[in-house]
Amino acid sequence: MTDAALARGPVVERRRGEGWTAAALITPASIFVAFCLLAPIAILFRFSLNEFVPSKKLMVEALTVANYVKFFTDPYYTTILATTVRIAVLVTAVCLVLGFPLAYVVARTQSRFKHLLIISIVLPLFVGNAVRAAGWMTVFGNKGFFNATLMGLGVIDQPLEIMFTEKAVVIGIIAVNLPFMVLSLQSVIEGIDRSVEEAAFSLGAPPATMFRRVLWPLALPGVLAGTILTFVLAMNAYATPFLLGGPLFAMMAPSAQEGFAVDMGYNPTVTNAKVPPDVQKRIGFTEEEQKRLRDLDYGYMAKNDTAFQEWWNKSFKG
Amino acid sequence: MARLDLEKLSKRYGDFFAVRDVSLQIADGEFLVLLGPSGCGKTTTLRMVAGFIEPSDGAVRLGGSDVTVLPPWKRNAGMVFQSYALFPHLSVAQNVAFGLEMRKLPRADIERRVEEALALVRLTGFGGRLPRQLSGGQQQRVALARALAIRPDVLLLDEPLSNLDAKLRQEVRVEIRELQRQLGLTTVMVTHDQEEALTMADRLVVMNEGAVRQVGSQRDLYERPADRFVAGFVGRSTFLDGAVEAPGRFRTDGGLALACAGGMPGRAALALRPERVEIAPSANTNMSGLDNSLPGTVEFVSYLGALIDIHVRLSPQDRLVVQIANRDGGFAPDVGQPVQVGWPAAAGLVFNE
Ligand SMILES: Nc1ncnc2c1ncn2[C@@H]1O[C@H](COP(=O)(O)OP(=O)(O)OP(=O)(O)O)[C@@H](O)[C@H]1O
Ligand SMILES: [Mg+2]
Repeated sequence: MTDAALARGPVVERRRGEGWTAAALITPASIFVAFCLLAPIAILFRFSLNEFVPSKKLMVEALTVANYVKFFTDPYYTTILATTVRIAVLVTAVCLVLGFPLAYVVARTQSRFKHLLIISIVLPLFVGNAVRAAGWMTVFGNKGFFNATLMGLGVIDQPLEIMFTEKAVVIGIIAVNLPFMVLSLQSVIEGIDRSVEEAAFSLGAPPATMFRRVLWPLALPGVLAGTILTFVLAMNAYATPFLLGGPLFAMMAPSAQEGFAVDMGYNPTVTNAKVPPDVQKRIGFTEEEQKRLRDLDYGYMAKNDTAFQEWWNKSFKG
Repeated sequence: MARLDLEKLSKRYGDFFAVRDVSLQIADGEFLVLLGPSGCGKTTTLRMVAGFIEPSDGAVRLGGSDVTVLPPWKRNAGMVFQSYALFPHLSVAQNVAFGLEMRKLPRADIERRVEEALALVRLTGFGGRLPRQLSGGQQQRVALARALAIRPDVLLLDEPLSNLDAKLRQEVRVEIRELQRQLGLTTVMVTHDQEEALTMADRLVVMNEGAVRQVGSQRDLYERPADRFVAGFVGRSTFLDGAVEAPGRFRTDGGLALACAGGMPGRAALALRPERVEIAPSANTNMSGLDNSLPGTVEFVSYLGALIDIHVRLSPQDRLVVQIANRDGGFAPDVGQPVQVGWPAAAGLVFNE
């Protein structure tokens, strides 16, 4: 062995050790991803190739692309898909345009209150989506804050139709997604040397050119991350389109949930849960009782609604 | 190239003056160095010239025209940043071409001038590389080429060498200086490295606390410092505190009576350059011809290779640093040894308080 090789020996040894450490460090996350994310997706994909038999309201074991054909040819689904993609693109674009200047200011500020600024951007995310949507409802409703203010000021005399329209959904999703865009951009912009921008200025680039030739290309990783994140979140938005879009507005995530439930005939999805015998005795139905159970007749219910109410008020409230 | 004039330039942050009333005239083709301790306002001054900071007061004139309110992209100033600030996503050639593209030159001219600029900094053939594929010294030269390619009216350098190692710094110093002479560039450089300032400048500006303390040549600053700050900042001085009793007579707080040149009666400090003071073993007290000759004790010796610093205690309050050349058979003092020190009256500079 030469001296150089001897000298390098322990270094190589340590490198190998580091490789094992790295493998050990990423193993838990890899296992989690494999079992908790990939496996369910794989199972769902297998389900999607099954045959759908409406009379049984269940999937029948098969290997067919019929479901996919139906999804991409049935106008009901393609319309939903188109709406969803259109809204996701719109939301992402608006988030980028609104988010970039904000992210830039946050990244470049010298203020002592920078951390407060960041917290105030993230803070709205602490409010659950459903609660937030409820908040929007009070703002956008025909007698909501927004319309009441404009009408009070005499700007308009008819309330603007916002609630239960696409506008409400877009505004709602933007509000949820903007912080993600801003944070993705801000972290990347922070890593761009301020003097690089100044160098462009001193070489004769006005701000717009500096932005196009220097800042934008350097911020691109953040733009990509933020765009993907925002787009995916918009595609999957559930509570916001459901609550703000109203019953006639269809985006993919709520429709999938709804479609799943309807096509399953609101059947219980869990049938084999075991309940301890003593509990079963108190809450469960016996075989005979189960036979006496009837599906609800909604027509009958609707017709006799007042009678039921009276009976209820008399026997329980009175 | 053009002359550059700063007129009573000030920058205020709240009540704090980062730069106060700085007036400088820089001739066409002159290399001016702004020198001063950290936080004295050098960078702020330079950035006001570049247009990155708007002055609170005063004016910047470039080639005779007032550019005070022009944004940086409308001034023709080439700037080299401390961090080089190369565009990391562009190749070396694209970096150098950037300023030329902004000036909307024809493609062929741009290519020619990029080649020229790269040849100037001896980086021919590196055009296709990305900045991160270059060493620190090479990146520095690309930054210089990029600033030179636009043929700026003034070249601004903010501590351009501080990220290079000591040896490379010495080489690049000479290179920049030669290029600057060859191209006749009006140049303002900022540094807090004295040696760098002294070797590169035509003229130096010493700043402290936002204000100009003295402007002059190396010799002016070293031999005729305007005040105590400059005497201490440019080169080294030992200060003996005391008072001028009468013109030519200085008494230290330790009670030593010394001959000095000039000075107004009153509290003052006497500054002595370490290498202007003679030192001899105590036995040999023959310091004839020197106006001051005093006994003392060696308190501390620091060996610097070519030079030796000897700290000599003259009185309980007075201590002096003497610097001697390290020669064969020369005087080699030991700590605790009694010595005799002496200097001509003219070697002591008096600064009244
Ligand atoms: N934006 C600002 N707000 C408040 N004070 C500032 C600001 N920028 C600079 N200063 C102050 O102005 C003074 C001069 O700063 P400047 O950067 O010009 O110093 P410098 O001489 O270049 O120092 P160094 O050698 O450390 O680079 C410093 O005291 C600094 O704290
Ligand atoms: Mg500085």
